[in-house]
Amino acid sequence: MGNNKKVLVVDDEAHIRRVIEVKLKKRGYQVITAINGKEGLNLIKTQKPDVVISDIMMPEMDGKTLCELTNSLKKEQSFLTIIMTCRISADEEGWTDDMQDTLFIEKPFSPSRLVDCIDQYFGGPSE
Amino acid sequence: MKSNELDVPKMLRIGIILFLLVMTGIAICGQILIHEEKDYKINDLLDRGGYLTSLIALHPTKDLQGRKQDFFLRTLSEYSSYEGLVYCFIHDQAGRSFVSLAPNNFASQIPPDVQRASLQAMGLSKHTFQLNGTENTIYEFAKPIFESGQKTGTVRLGFKLPHISFFSFERIRFLAMIALLFFAVVLFFYYCIKLTLQPLKKLSQDLQSTCNGSDLMNSQTPSTNGVAFMVKDLGQSLSQIKEKLEKIEVDNMKLVSKLGVTAFEKKQIATILDSLNLGIIIVDIQDDVSHVNDYMLKLLKKSQPEAVGCSLAELLNHSDIQSFISQQEDGMNYRNGEYIETTFPEHAPGDTFSVSFSELKEIESGLVGKMILIRKITNEKLAEEARKDFIAHISHEFKTPLTSIKSYSEMLMEGEIDDGEMQKEFYNTINTEADRLASLIQNLLSISRIEMGSLAINKSLVKTELLIGDSLAAIETAAQTKHIVIEKNIPDNLSSIVGDKELLKVALINVLNNAVKYTPDNNHITFSLSDQDDFIVFDTIDNGCGISQEDLPRIFDKSFRSSDPMVREMPGSGLGLALTSEIVQLHGGEIDVESEPGEGARFSIKLPKEEYYLGKQ
Repeated sequence: MGNNKKVLVVDDEAHIRRVIEVKLKKRGYQVITAINGKEGLNLIKTQKPDVVISDIMMPEMDGKTLCELTNSLKKEQSFLTIIMTCRISADEEGWTDDMQDTLFIEKPFSPSRLVDCIDQYFGGPSE
Repeated sequence: MKSNELDVPKMLRIGIILFLLVMTGIAICGQILIHEEKDYKINDLLDRGGYLTSLIALHPTKDLQGRKQDFFLRTLSEYSSYEGLVYCFIHDQAGRSFVSLAPNNFASQIPPDVQRASLQAMGLSKHTFQLNGTENTIYEFAKPIFESGQKTGTVRLGFKLPHISFFSFERIRFLAMIALLFFAVVLFFYYCIKLTLQPLKKLSQDLQSTCNGSDLMNSQTPSTNGVAFMVKDLGQSLSQIKEKLEKIEVDNMKLVSKLGVTAFEKKQIATILDSLNLGIIIVDIQDDVSHVNDYMLKLLKKSQPEAVGCSLAELLNHSDIQSFISQQEDGMNYRNGEYIETTFPEHAPGDTFSVSFSELKEIESGLVGKMILIRKITNEKLAEEARKDFIAHISHEFKTPLTSIKSYSEMLMEGEIDDGEMQKEFYNTINTEADRLASLIQNLLSISRIEMGSLAINKSLVKTELLIGDSLAAIETAAQTKHIVIEKNIPDNLSSIVGDKELLKVALINVLNNAVKYTPDNNHITFSLSDQDDFIVFDTIDNGCGISQEDLPRIFDKSFRSSDPMVREMPGSGLGLALTSEIVQLHGGEIDVESEPGEGARFSIKLPKEEYYLGKQ
């Protein structure tokens, strides 16, 4: 059940954090949450999560800045980054080309699909 | 050929004229010479006559008598033959002539008064008289002879001027030399003049060719022999030059007129260019600036004289524009309508400009210059950025509640939520997020309709009590959920207002909803109304997190949401206050906010009362 992998959920929307947290915990993942990029960055450095799920549009520090700042940390300890995007044009994801282990999931998404992506990253369904 | 045939008599005439001139000259010179010779001979005669008379008078009378008289007379006769001596009388003291050398009866032809005057003279005297019947003038010299202080006699000598011949050998030789010299001088000057006229002749030919142009072959060849022909040719040429000058003058007048029109048109074009709200630089084909309009001069902080004449690179000193123009000038890359976006940090910091380039061509002469157009697009860029931001924000605001609804419902449907309380929480969230989405859509539609001017406002008399009753009822549930008490301060007998009740409800509910949303649980908010002059003021005071000074000026901007985590924690589109502001303004009212971070906020909505509204109508 999740092999105690640690997932950080970064979103300023409480409802989104809540539903992802419930879904992941049911699959056996440890979940920690942050309400913006700045708080998320601190948790990545201190808690060293295995997966970071982040919204883009957030106060204080947005998801894009968070990704750019944490990409270099992946050399020491790799982790998967999943960006929740409200994509409005096809080319707006170009900035992730140079990012290591970074995926997009477009809003509105299915929680099951999100967890499947994480499972696949860790080598198949955790169940 | 014709001119050569005419040359012979002409030359003959000139020869005769020259000959007559020479003859006349010789005659005049001869006369002058004769006159001079006569004067000379008279003076000579006077000298010699006086000298000879004085010489004879030195001799005593006895030396002239007797045997010595013959010797004296013989010597005197020889002398008289070529010295012009006509007669010689020597008188004694009594006046009787004892020596007489004269032609027969000549003494009787001498006027008696002359003889008397001579005999009575005490020194050398001279008398002239005309010989009877002739034109000969006789010069008589007389001098008394003194011996031992006593006058012993008188010597009288008569001289006649020798004949002066015009055709003397010396004179003829002299005049011939003068004539020769004259002809030599004439010939010399003739050749000199001919030599001098050579360039004039050439000039004449040149002028003819200039005047006639292609008709040169048909023109009369100037005479090589006559200056007159040359002068005639020059005259013709001058006439033609005069005609040409007149034609040139007319053309010049036309050109001056055209130039005036062109200058006027140029000034008009410059005025038009100066009135444009974009920068224009016109350069010639050598990239030298020929015109810069007012807008561009103000941007570059230069004057027209400073700008005109210098090179484009010197004027702009802008590598981006130089590079763009170089690319455009390359025939392969040039396309009309191409532009770059750039900035002028030194001259207009913070502004963005679009720079485009056009080649100025004329049908006949091809490329004559280039035009660089520089347009400020700061507002367009800001508007574009704002539009992009708004779309991104709205997309986020739509998809966030949708994601919640989809995620929560999916988990419920898949039976993953067993706990009853959690199921209730999930259903509540779905419901709240659906309301949020509906509110967002309503607000967005209202805003777009207000902006498009298509929002139908159903204005009518609105009872203030009913308006606030409906608005408070709409937030009652949310307030109760958070255990927030709404303290109402509503006076009796409130004036009515004129407006669209539904829209005014939206405005008030947005403000009240925000107050409930951002006020912590178990707290209170105050809602009070008051009459202030022509307005009814709706004050909503909350005890929430307050608004930072940085956010205050922007809270009524469309799609603005505070970056405060306390605010972001709450669901919201950022459209509510923008819509409220629009609705209040549509009703001729005002909305104001006072707040300090951490100390809540006070929103005041002022709406005109019915009386004011009717009064205005």
